[in-house]
Amino acid sequence: MVRGLEDKIFNAVSYTILALVGLVTVVPLLYVLSVSLTPYAEVLKNGGYVLFPKEITFNAYEKLLSNSAIPRAFQITIFVTVVGTAINLTLTALLAYPLSRKGMPGRRLFLFMVVFTLLFNGGIIPTYLIVKATGLIDTVWALIVPNAIWSFNVLVMKGFFENLPEEIFESARIDGAHEWRILLRIAVPLSIPSIMTIGLFYAVGHWNSFFAAIMYITDRSLFPLQVVVREILMMTQQPLENAEDMVPTVTMQMSAVIFASLPIIAVYPFLQKHFTKGMIIGSIKG
Amino acid sequence: MAKKQLVFALLAAGALASFMLAGCGSGNETGGAEGSGEGGANQASAPVTINMTLPGTGLPTPDNDDIKKALDEKLGTDIQLTAIQSGDDYNNQLRVRMSAGNYPDLFTTSYTYLKEFAEKGLILDLTPYLEKELKPAKDFITNLSSEDIWKKVTVNGKIYAIPRVPDVPFSSFWIRQDWLDNLKLNPPTTLDELFEVAKAFTEQDPDGNKKNDTYGITGQKFDAFSPVFGAYGVGQPGTFYEKDGNVINAYYDPNMPEALAFIKKLIDAGVVDPELMTNKGTVDQQKAFQGKAGIIFKGWIEISKDEFVNQYKTINPKAEWVHIDAPKGPAGQFNGSFDFDMPSRYYAIPKAMEKDKAKLQKIFDLINYVSGEEGNDLVMYGIEGKHYNVVDGKVEPTELMAVEGNYFHLYQITGRPNKEYLEVKFPNQAEDIEFAIRIPRIKTLDSSIVPPTGFNKADADRYAEEELVKFVYGKRPLSEYGDFLKTLETTFKYNLYVDEAMKQIKEQGLANNG
Repeated sequence: MVRGLEDKIFNAVSYTILALVGLVTVVPLLYVLSVSLTPYAEVLKNGGYVLFPKEITFNAYEKLLSNSAIPRAFQITIFVTVVGTAINLTLTALLAYPLSRKGMPGRRLFLFMVVFTLLFNGGIIPTYLIVKATGLIDTVWALIVPNAIWSFNVLVMKGFFENLPEEIFESARIDGAHEWRILLRIAVPLSIPSIMTIGLFYAVGHWNSFFAAIMYITDRSLFPLQVVVREILMMTQQPLENAEDMVPTVTMQMSAVIFASLPIIAVYPFLQKHFTKGMIIGSIKG
Repeated sequence: MAKKQLVFALLAAGALASFMLAGCGSGNETGGAEGSGEGGANQASAPVTINMTLPGTGLPTPDNDDIKKALDEKLGTDIQLTAIQSGDDYNNQLRVRMSAGNYPDLFTTSYTYLKEFAEKGLILDLTPYLEKELKPAKDFITNLSSEDIWKKVTVNGKIYAIPRVPDVPFSSFWIRQDWLDNLKLNPPTTLDELFEVAKAFTEQDPDGNKKNDTYGITGQKFDAFSPVFGAYGVGQPGTFYEKDGNVINAYYDPNMPEALAFIKKLIDAGVVDPELMTNKGTVDQQKAFQGKAGIIFKGWIEISKDEFVNQYKTINPKAEWVHIDAPKGPAGQFNGSFDFDMPSRYYAIPKAMEKDKAKLQKIFDLINYVSGEEGNDLVMYGIEGKHYNVVDGKVEPTELMAVEGNYFHLYQITGRPNKEYLEVKFPNQAEDIEFAIRIPRIKTLDSSIVPPTGFNKADADRYAEEELVKFVYGKRPLSEYGDFLKTLETTFKYNLYVDEAMKQIKEQGLANNG
């Protein structure tokens, strides 16, 4: 490959810029990780900034886990994420598929109802009243049921189903498949990238769910991870009010951050291939 | 066509089924957590659920909560305490619950909300109960504070909240003794000396590292200068206090411009942390511990608690923070201002509880119990033999108290004898505790002022603070202080607020010459 000087300069410049952007993204994460692994005294001596730990300790994590609230909250969050996402995907697919079929009676009406909720909602208090009236207050289901379907995701998935060629459905029908079979054996398998992507959206949403818990849950043993972690982090954001309040050390705060985000970070690489596909491709391959 | 309808029906049924499944599961998952109030009370033997809520941190899960267990056993209750960490989240949740009629049985709130809830008829008027059902709690609170505290929970002549005994002040100036020693200086006793010491700390390399990397004073906004305002007899900006027999607002204090002029002098000399106005949370404390400044106005709870002494000794074993008296100024010596009568919490009971007499009585029992000797000891010190031992009539904390005892205060509904309590809990800080209680402060009166409608306090406060910052940083000449007040009145209607405050203070009979 013979390249002109101009090309080389161009490459050099773009690589430099990309490297800088990469660095800017990685450094804060690295900082959080390093501080969480460095002995507290070491962090203090360095003025609170450590990028590469000289010594590694898991003290902060041990302390964090000895706090009874965290493992409990972790279970709650995992439950909400797994069950919640399963319910989300089932309901979203079951709503999106019929809406994507051109011949469905009343399609426009139902579509309108879905879109309507994108633009208008009842507001906090009416929603709270419904959650209360259905007996969901102070149960984990308050974190799952009110958000069981996100209309936007229904539209995305509907779009995906619509892009599947009609011929496939026709041939399936000729071969005697009924609608359930078409959905489960043809539409869903062909839409795996979009389902994965939407599943990831839902899962991340559940994992980070915070507001719903603050609103609907008063029982401490049902608090999800983010509420507990936020409690640890927010302590340093405001001046102390009570003499008894213990401020968690910066190493503990950072280990809480890692603890709360690591599972999601760990899942990303496995979903990435579907993720990029789901986001970019609007139709099936060959 | 028929087929399509069938499919639709199936889909609908499927969706329904998954909802039903979800519903079924809820029973297993949450078990006993349901039923926030209804039922249970009628059966004589079943414990009465009391749902209590307040902002706070560090509460363990119910199975690890010794205080809850002890109270439940004693009172035949099932106390479900919820503590949400930040005040904003707490207020959001509370407001939604109040609007939706899903009241907690006992909750804390602010005076402003208390007034609003009272006027909407959402909370119980406690006046008829205070002389009988709540007498023990009433006496406990009055003995530890004063009769005046009941005025602070009164709305339209009726008492709507149980006031928790007021907090004691914690704050004072703290100074690096080892820096003073290095530079052979004495602790400052007057404003001029404060200026000199701050200047020396900035310019004479007090830490001896041959680098120009220190400042005299750090802190957060105007709070950092509380004793400076105090030296001029001025309360914290925006507060109301009595001066020469009249109630005045700090902005209208004739000494205010002078106090600002002195602060400007400090800032002009470059002896103040340049980020003073933007420091938030624990940033200024950390700067002080890192050896970036030698004077800070803070509570002992943020400087001399064991954990913090460990922190700054780890950073620099030679560091030594000591508290000092406020500097003397033209109007004397005051460590800023403090509202001594302000209830540390306001506990309210929803009006709806009136109908459930049995439960209401249980709530009263709880409030009275934590105000009695036995109950008060429990919510102060925990379980005898586990968290503390009594030696020669004195409470000796065990090591477990320091580990587990940090949430007990969430159960101190009516409060505690502060000095005694704090000195037991923080034996190493006894001297600091006593000092902070003893040093003089300007007594402010504004904790029970509710801003009038048509006046936006947040906006006015923001504007006033911005202008004060301009004054002390020399962006606006102090000769324009009168113009500033004029804008505050015309644009922000501050005079409405001042008039209303005067009226309320007079009505509540808080000022001696009101």
